[in-house]
Amino acid sequence: MSSLNHIWVLAMNTYREAVRDKLLYNLLLFAGLMIASSILLAQIQLGHDERLYRDVGLSAIAFFGVLIAIFVGINLVHREISSKTIYTMLSKPVQRWEFLVGKYVGLLTLLAVEVAIMSACFIAVLFAKGSEFYSGLLWSILLIYFELALVTAVAIFFSSFTTPYLAGMFTVALWIIGHLLGDLRAFGSRSDIPGLKALMEALYWTLPNLDRLDIKADASAGNPIELARIGAAALYAWLYSFVLMAGAMLLFQRRDFR
Amino acid sequence: MNVIRTSGLRKTYRTGFWMRAVEAVKGVDLEVKSGEIFGFIGPNGAGKTTTMKILTGLMLPTAGGAWVHELPVSDPQSRARLGFLPEGTFFHDYLTGREFLEFHASLLGLPRDLRRERIPQLLARVGLAGAEDRQIRRYSKGMRQRAGLAQALIGNPDLVILDEPMSGLDPLGRKDVRDVILSLRDEGKTVFFSSHILQDAEMICDQVAIILSGRIVAQGYIDELLGQEHAGAELTFESISEALYHELERQAKRAVVQGPRFLFEFDAEADAEKALDRVRASGGRVRSLVPRRRSLEDLLVEGVKQETRS
Repeated sequence: MSSLNHIWVLAMNTYREAVRDKLLYNLLLFAGLMIASSILLAQIQLGHDERLYRDVGLSAIAFFGVLIAIFVGINLVHREISSKTIYTMLSKPVQRWEFLVGKYVGLLTLLAVEVAIMSACFIAVLFAKGSEFYSGLLWSILLIYFELALVTAVAIFFSSFTTPYLAGMFTVALWIIGHLLGDLRAFGSRSDIPGLKALMEALYWTLPNLDRLDIKADASAGNPIELARIGAAALYAWLYSFVLMAGAMLLFQRRDFR
Repeated sequence: MNVIRTSGLRKTYRTGFWMRAVEAVKGVDLEVKSGEIFGFIGPNGAGKTTTMKILTGLMLPTAGGAWVHELPVSDPQSRARLGFLPEGTFFHDYLTGREFLEFHASLLGLPRDLRRERIPQLLARVGLAGAEDRQIRRYSKGMRQRAGLAQALIGNPDLVILDEPMSGLDPLGRKDVRDVILSLRDEGKTVFFSSHILQDAEMICDQVAIILSGRIVAQGYIDELLGQEHAGAELTFESISEALYHELERQAKRAVVQGPRFLFEFDAEADAEKALDRVRASGGRVRSLVPRRRSLEDLLVEGVKQETRS
């Protein structure tokens, strides 16, 4: 049987497992409420209410998407090991890298559905308030999805060799730092502390720079967004995810399942 | 042909905060032939599960080699004709019995038509017909074990590896599992199973290997290992005096009063014959005489004693 089929079967089972988890529905409900609450917030704030719908909507999609990616991502591999369900899968002619990729593809499918549902809520709010849904918003949502794919790869990378608790902490830390890398670099360049500039430069070029994928502000303000910028950001996320998954596979290959 | 072969197989773990080295398997040599039921016997922590996990690709050996169907266990194809039931009943419990088998059949690449044909057959074979659309989390422990067994058989494998398949089952459940294992041998399949329930192993195995502290201490066909000679006898008497009871009690390995009957177990046949003569001479009645054969339990106990001495 081909690797592709193994990956597909594992991905669909991962998707089914996540869909039957109540946590997911709770997060989706909160995301829906958050997006809908932008209507109330707009009534409190004076002026720019259309932009506020877009800001809150895009931020809610990104934030709840990341919550799902981290919570489900860190448990994705660990749960199979701790509950020993991995035994019956890997004792079949399934390769370990196929298992990891299958889990990853399953979660990407789930995230695609989640982002689609949240985007539908977002569009419904915009239409209800007579606001327009334009291509910039679509590109922003697409890059949110690429960010989620990268964060999931980070979560899987850490969970391939450590506990879910540590994997969760590392992933959240990288997500926060990933959005601050530009500021950290600027801080380093202005600092007089020896070595700090070099350290910040090294972090800037090695850690996942999630700011590259964040075009929410421009999209929300209705600024023009070049396709080349979107393409470069998507390629960056894809390459970084690929490297992380390759690292996770190497670590997973040597692991004993006791 | 050897379906399973290991040579000098070793496994060392690193455990705890200080990464202390624990040698779980210390140079195991095994040969399991096609069409046999092979029992892998030993107490908890002897290295049975570790050996099985190496054979099924879940653990990597530290040294030595292991082959399944003459392919090294590092090759995923060595698991193409293998079915494995791990110890415990740890399955995707959000799936129904049918979905669980569908999933594992799909992982093996079975075509849809074959899956539709085989799944109901297997569910019936393991006694789960009627429960196929219930989620596994609603199954009893026995039902989970049956579902696991069905999962191991879904690919119609030539080799079935079962880790403690009877553990935690009631007597009826154990009998059902024994029957399935025997029927697999009738179909020409090889069954390699671990157990610490020695009576079960003695009842159905062709060959056994006894593992203690990571080393094989005995391996061979049951009759060869246990021998044909008797190892003592169990006698039941009636109508014997209290004095005679105490006299025999001192000579016997075990003495039990069961209402009007007195049961004595002797290690040596000569002692049993002497007791028989004494009871007859005193006018007592002999109700039963059961010669005792050496058992796997005796073999295991001897092994443990040797291990402790060395």
